[in-house]
Amino acid sequence: MSSALDRQIKPIYDALETHSNKSAVVQCNKVLKKHPNNILVKALKALALVRQQKVEESLVLADEILALKPTDDAVLTAMMHVLRGLGRHSDIIAMFENAYKQNPLNEDLGTQTFFANVRVGNWKAAQQIAGKMHKQFHDDRYLYWNVYSAVLQANDPSTEAALRPVLLKLALRLISQCQTPSFYSTDRFYVHVLILRDLQLYDEAFALLNDEIGKRICAISLACDELRREIAKLRGAVKDEGDHARERILEKQDRNWLEFLSVLDATFWDISSTSEPSEEAIATVKEQIVKSRELFTQVGKEDGLKDRSGPLALLELAKRARVYGLSSDASELRTLVESYFSQFGDKACCYEDLVPYVDFEGEEFSKWTSFLNTQKQPADTTPGLRRLINVFKLQRYNLTSGELTPELETERAAEYVRQYLSGLALGSNLPDTELQPADDLAILAGHAYITLWKLTGEESHLHTAASLLDYASSRSRQSYQIRLLLIRIFQLLGAPSLALEQYRLMNVKQVQTDTLSHLILTRASMWSLAPLGDITYMSECMEASQIYMSNSQETAEFVARAFSTEKYSQIADFIVFEDRLDNSLQRDLMKIEHVRMRVANEQLNADLVDMELIELKFIFDRLHHDNRDFTVIPNYQPRGQPSLNEITLPVKMSPGMGWLSAYLKIYIKGFQLASDLDDTVEDKLLIGDRPKPSADPENQAPLNERLAIRKQEEIDDMTPEEQLFYEYASALSGWLAPYHDHVRPPPAALLAEAAKANDLKPGHPLKNLAAAQAANGSTTNGQSKKDDEPPAIKEPPELISKVFDELKARFDAEMNGQKLPSELLHIASITQEAFLFFALETVRFKQASVVKIHKLGNLVQSFKSIRERGQEVLTQMADELSKLAEQVATPEGRHKFVQASSSIQTDTGFHHDYVLNVAKKVTDSRKQTFEGISKGIRKVIKNHS
Amino acid sequence: MSVTRPFRATDLFKFNNINLDIWTETYGISFYLSYLARWPDLCCVQESPNGRMMGYVIGKAEGAGPEWHGHVTALTVAPEFRRLSLARKMMNLLEWVSDQTYNAFFVDLYVRCTNNVAIQMYEGMGYSVYRRVREYYGSLGLGRGGKDEEDAFDMRKPLSRDQGRRSVRPNGREIVVSAHDVS
Repeated sequence: MSSALDRQIKPIYDALETHSNKSAVVQCNKVLKKHPNNILVKALKALALVRQQKVEESLVLADEILALKPTDDAVLTAMMHVLRGLGRHSDIIAMFENAYKQNPLNEDLGTQTFFANVRVGNWKAAQQIAGKMHKQFHDDRYLYWNVYSAVLQANDPSTEAALRPVLLKLALRLISQCQTPSFYSTDRFYVHVLILRDLQLYDEAFALLNDEIGKRICAISLACDELRREIAKLRGAVKDEGDHARERILEKQDRNWLEFLSVLDATFWDISSTSEPSEEAIATVKEQIVKSRELFTQVGKEDGLKDRSGPLALLELAKRARVYGLSSDASELRTLVESYFSQFGDKACCYEDLVPYVDFEGEEFSKWTSFLNTQKQPADTTPGLRRLINVFKLQRYNLTSGELTPELETERAAEYVRQYLSGLALGSNLPDTELQPADDLAILAGHAYITLWKLTGEESHLHTAASLLDYASSRSRQSYQIRLLLIRIFQLLGAPSLALEQYRLMNVKQVQTDTLSHLILTRASMWSLAPLGDITYMSECMEASQIYMSNSQETAEFVARAFSTEKYSQIADFIVFEDRLDNSLQRDLMKIEHVRMRVANEQLNADLVDMELIELKFIFDRLHHDNRDFTVIPNYQPRGQPSLNEITLPVKMSPGMGWLSAYLKIYIKGFQLASDLDDTVEDKLLIGDRPKPSADPENQAPLNERLAIRKQEEIDDMTPEEQLFYEYASALSGWLAPYHDHVRPPPAALLAEAAKANDLKPGHPLKNLAAAQAANGSTTNGQSKKDDEPPAIKEPPELISKVFDELKARFDAEMNGQKLPSELLHIASITQEAFLFFALETVRFKQASVVKIHKLGNLVQSFKSIRERGQEVLTQMADELSKLAEQVATPEGRHKFVQASSSIQTDTGFHHDYVLNVAKKVTDSRKQTFEGISKGIRKVIKNHS
Repeated sequence: MSVTRPFRATDLFKFNNINLDIWTETYGISFYLSYLARWPDLCCVQESPNGRMMGYVIGKAEGAGPEWHGHVTALTVAPEFRRLSLARKMMNLLEWVSDQTYNAFFVDLYVRCTNNVAIQMYEGMGYSVYRRVREYYGSLGLGRGGKDEEDAFDMRKPLSRDQGRRSVRPNGREIVVSAHDVS
């Protein structure tokens, strides 16, 4: 390349680097005028175009460049980014394979081809390339690439079971051919042992791990050491492992809990490894127990307060001895628990440490209860306060259902609050970046008031909880746990804007949006004012979905990088991570919510219908993983009682796999009917690669069959109203499908339309379309008159006509009962959804000409009464919600709210005026929600009348 | 008492109780994976017996010649698991691996000049201030502590390879460099 040309190309790179894509295109065009055939500049232009979402133009250029089979490094790199942007990974592979084939001596091209396959999980091809590279370049790293690709292929779900050992044996043979032994690198050694494990050659693996070098590697690599522990278990060498661990605990002062677990497992191995242990075995275990007890006691003495391992191991030992009926002293476990509490009662984690050991019964239970009572002492120091909190938590855990009465719970709540308010003094000097040591008392009080609400059904307890926790949050701004409770309470109270505010203050970002966005986006459509054009929750869904984009753009790159740095121990985890995010349940629950809001927010036209149909169909093939984190929500409920998370879920249920499956079926079917796209058309219009087909045999059946299947897990996952909607939607689709199929234009006509539209755009036509057009020959113009008669017009199934009345009855029941805002809004939103779904499925028959040509006048007549009933019911609900909105944000409403917590208010800090502010916030937010939803319903009616 | 085990990519799904704390930053995927793809042995997790994450450390090895060292990029413990010597456990491991695997001269870390609790803790582990880095935490703006809030101490601890203890000096607190000189 001439240096003059170089000078012209540099500004293009600069523009791309600063994401000035428009200017990059201008620069490219300038250079292309003089050098119209410069392939690098064309590639850079394609890149700038794809980054501007000008997919079709970029596509044409990309195809042109690929046809020239480029080999130049710069062109290949640019094209890799272009094709990635277009989602055409198979083209990337083909491009590099081509280039490498032309230059088999180019090591870098080989590496790139290998990586291209690695990024998409093409292990078989990756393995072959690595093998070829090893032969050519004699570098051991390529041999290990080959080996590890074989391991990954063996573990791939699509690989046949019979082939797995073959691949692993091949990998093992390759390792043995390598000139340098595997132990020269920790990660190669890891791969070697891993293969031996997977081939169940445990003794060989053990031999490797147990020689001098193996031991040394395990001492510096946690990953290898983890593998060693696993193999010891698989070999049944539990006792050896126990001896080894004992040695480490005593000589190396190792306090890794895994070592203690090894000793514990070894202690009971003689009886745990057999179903009928002999007398002799029992005697041995008894001896072992004594020995282990000595060891743990000694460790406990040596470590004192520095480390909890010894005393905790004693607890675990006593618990297991009891499970096996080898406990000589019935009070042993309780005595140990008490002594543990005396020693570590002032550690914040003491409660969590002890919970697995305190399920006492009978006499032991009463002794433990009275012990706790003696420990309840006024707290005038921070450690004292932590001890008191642990006492409260353990006492609460102990509560029997008989003790969960409104009266007793009220007393407990009052005590938590009293201690909380006085405990605040201990943290009064802390900067506001610190947590208050008394926080957990407010959280306990929150538990008690929420429980009171559950017990009595009185909303006022939620008002008290909201007031107190809001105050606690103002005193401890960094406590996310208080915010979590507030989010749930605000949602139950119909104040979603406050819940959202709390969520945003938690600063949830990056991968946390996958695990935590459920807090505010679960059934978000019920809070959303999308019909009024308010897209808050829709944008929140989009924002929370960013992480899935980063995942598909970045993670695979690190799989390739881990190959290049030879950190094989990480690769399998990276792949699992990518898969779990890519197929995240929360991702697609959010997608469904987005669709539900979109349908309420936008016009029901072909753009919406076709795009969502294609996307939902892709999602339907996925095997989902649930990454949602519910464990962050604190739980100090009594044993055997539902957790705080469970009792504070709005509408009482959390949607899961079954819910997603049902909703996917509902909307795929709905969009399928409303859409003109069929599979052949869809294929032609698709630009990127299709997702890998799922290996699940269930997914092999034709789509329509799969859509028709009903599963119990779907029903179990839905609220009664959602179940009703599911039945209604299925009945509606079943009823209308024949008429849609009759009216839908043939694929040839559609493709012709698309091609025509495409011709009008600048640039070249889409290849697929041009071919389709040629094949189809003559084109017709949109609607065509069919000669055959329409299917006989049937009356709508009863359920369709009745659904609105049924929902209205449920709404009225709630109005006459608890009037819980979250429940009311849920029923109203499902009713609105049923109405919109009806509009979606009948939009095709809106055009008078369609009805006339196809003689569907009678059918359309029957729509009228259904739609009218929907409108009536929705109007009534909107009226009720407006009335409620008026009632709530009044001086009386606020007064009642403040009164709820009057008994616990104080003169300063948590005083009347503070609570009044909370009352104002909550009632205003609720009013705004009720009003908005009510207006939204009216808007929906207007739009679809 | 805790399980010491490698940090895994999938721990990103589990670390909320640690990362929702104000002092722990949550980075993009590529941050964590770039560490795991190069220095997996310098990253580890402390886990409670019931499987909850208690804390983690993320480190790397860098520097040329006598500056070759292990670096603590992030060390964090969830609020409810503090004061249990978990940080010490993780630092011990990072130092051990820096010494044995990477043959580094020293381990270093950065700490806010105002964070006395942490500074004392690291001193107790054998670290000393090597230099003060001006405006290292500049992105957070001037906090209540003024300069101290945004300046960092670079603290170091020599490993067995640094026989002459060249990586530490007694007057480190007085030696001030700008953030540009260290990153």
